[in-house]
Amino acid sequence: MGYDWDFWVVFREFGLLMHGLINTLKVTGLSLTFGVPLGLCLALLRLYGNWPIRVPVGIIIEFFRATPPIAQLFWFFFALPILIGVEIDPFKASVLTFSLQSSAFFAEVFRGGIVSIDKGQWEAAKAIGMNRNKSLKRIILPQAVKRMIPAFLERAIELMKTTTLVGTISYADLLYEANTIAQSTYRSLEVFTVAAGIYFVIIFVCSIGVRQLERRMARTGETTAH
Amino acid sequence: MTTVLSIQNIHKIFGDLEVLKGIDVNVEKSETIVILGASGSGKSTLLRCINFMEVPTSGRIVLSGKTIGKETAGKVIYNEAELNALRTRVGMVFQHFNLFPHMTVRENVMEGPRTVLKCDKDECGRRASKYLDKVGLGWKSEAYPSQLSGGQQQRVAIARALAMEPDIMLFDEATSALDPELVGEVLETIKELADEGMTMLIVTHELGFAYTVADRVLFLSEGRILEQGTPAEVLVYPKQDGTKNFLKGHGSFRLPEPKLD
Repeated sequence: MGYDWDFWVVFREFGLLMHGLINTLKVTGLSLTFGVPLGLCLALLRLYGNWPIRVPVGIIIEFFRATPPIAQLFWFFFALPILIGVEIDPFKASVLTFSLQSSAFFAEVFRGGIVSIDKGQWEAAKAIGMNRNKSLKRIILPQAVKRMIPAFLERAIELMKTTTLVGTISYADLLYEANTIAQSTYRSLEVFTVAAGIYFVIIFVCSIGVRQLERRMARTGETTAH
Repeated sequence: MTTVLSIQNIHKIFGDLEVLKGIDVNVEKSETIVILGASGSGKSTLLRCINFMEVPTSGRIVLSGKTIGKETAGKVIYNEAELNALRTRVGMVFQHFNLFPHMTVRENVMEGPRTVLKCDKDECGRRASKYLDKVGLGWKSEAYPSQLSGGQQQRVAIARALAMEPDIMLFDEATSALDPELVGEVLETIKELADEGMTMLIVTHELGFAYTVADRVLFLSEGRILEQGTPAEVLVYPKQDGTKNFLKGHGSFRLPEPKLD
């Protein structure tokens, strides 16, 4: 049985899809903007904090890693407003959820990167009189970040795909708009094909870009000095 | 003579293992001291206690007349800032070089003067050029450590320590990780520093080098100084059985003298 493809309806509603795409990028981008630095802070607290800091931070990280993102989203959208008595709109709830959720994952990426650096690097920094903060900033993190790039990319891609959950609290992201179009035109096949294609193109292009960046960094000499 | 460094009754205990059992050494200005001993005798630990890479369990470190730490009720308390300041005056060269791989050779050497000593740009540049030239690697300024041989990396590490213009240099088995053919260039560099009057404490397994470079040799055994004296006294005419056995072990691969007909 042949299916009569008709992409025209999708292109007629392309504006709506683009609106959804922008919202997807907004949530992803903002969550990355907050999630990465927050992840670094959590990683440092977990690594170097005293136990009254280290333990709760560890629990927070594990909590976000071990619970379904959709449960977290519902919690911040439906439950938190009851607790604090303030309405949170779907956009803010989404950014809040995914910033925190991704920060937990980024914290583990940062931690892994930092502990992977040879302790001789810490000693060399210490031996020329650097304190811990300076050693981290000048010596350890620049090397760790370089090693973390692939894991970062992995998390960022995962994040962008997970943001499709925001449709469940009626935030009009790309997938949500695709669904709207599909329901009004009865052209699910075409609409979801195009939507998936857009996700694919963005993620694929980013991957290539990051791989290119990695290659360029590798060229500037650095491997490990032993 | 002025005493640059005074190590007084240093003990170091790891868990229930006492690695250093009371070490006393006075280091005079421009003196080169070589520390010998079997592995596990505590020689690296002693070196690492001097710049507080390891904090001594008890005892005193006095650098240029100033005692490090504050003594209250028999216990010495060290503050991080004081230790960091001390480390800027004590250079250390490691067995595994530990250059910063993400920085060029020049940046490695400038890092301490720039971020710790807060020297201005001209001064950082001057020091980088001066000390890289001293170790013969001015022409490798823009290379990354991974592009250098082990011997070159270790010479950069020496330049990095010298750039702090320290009062004293510590060498912790600086040639042990090198291929045999690269050992010479590093020892040569260290020898030049000795000739220029740098105060140095050197842990090494190169007995021939120890003999040539040292003003004084300390032989450590089980956390104590078993014997010390001039290179000839310790290496050629040792008095203690421990020293004799150690030297015997090192001599077992000496090539036979050629027979003359």
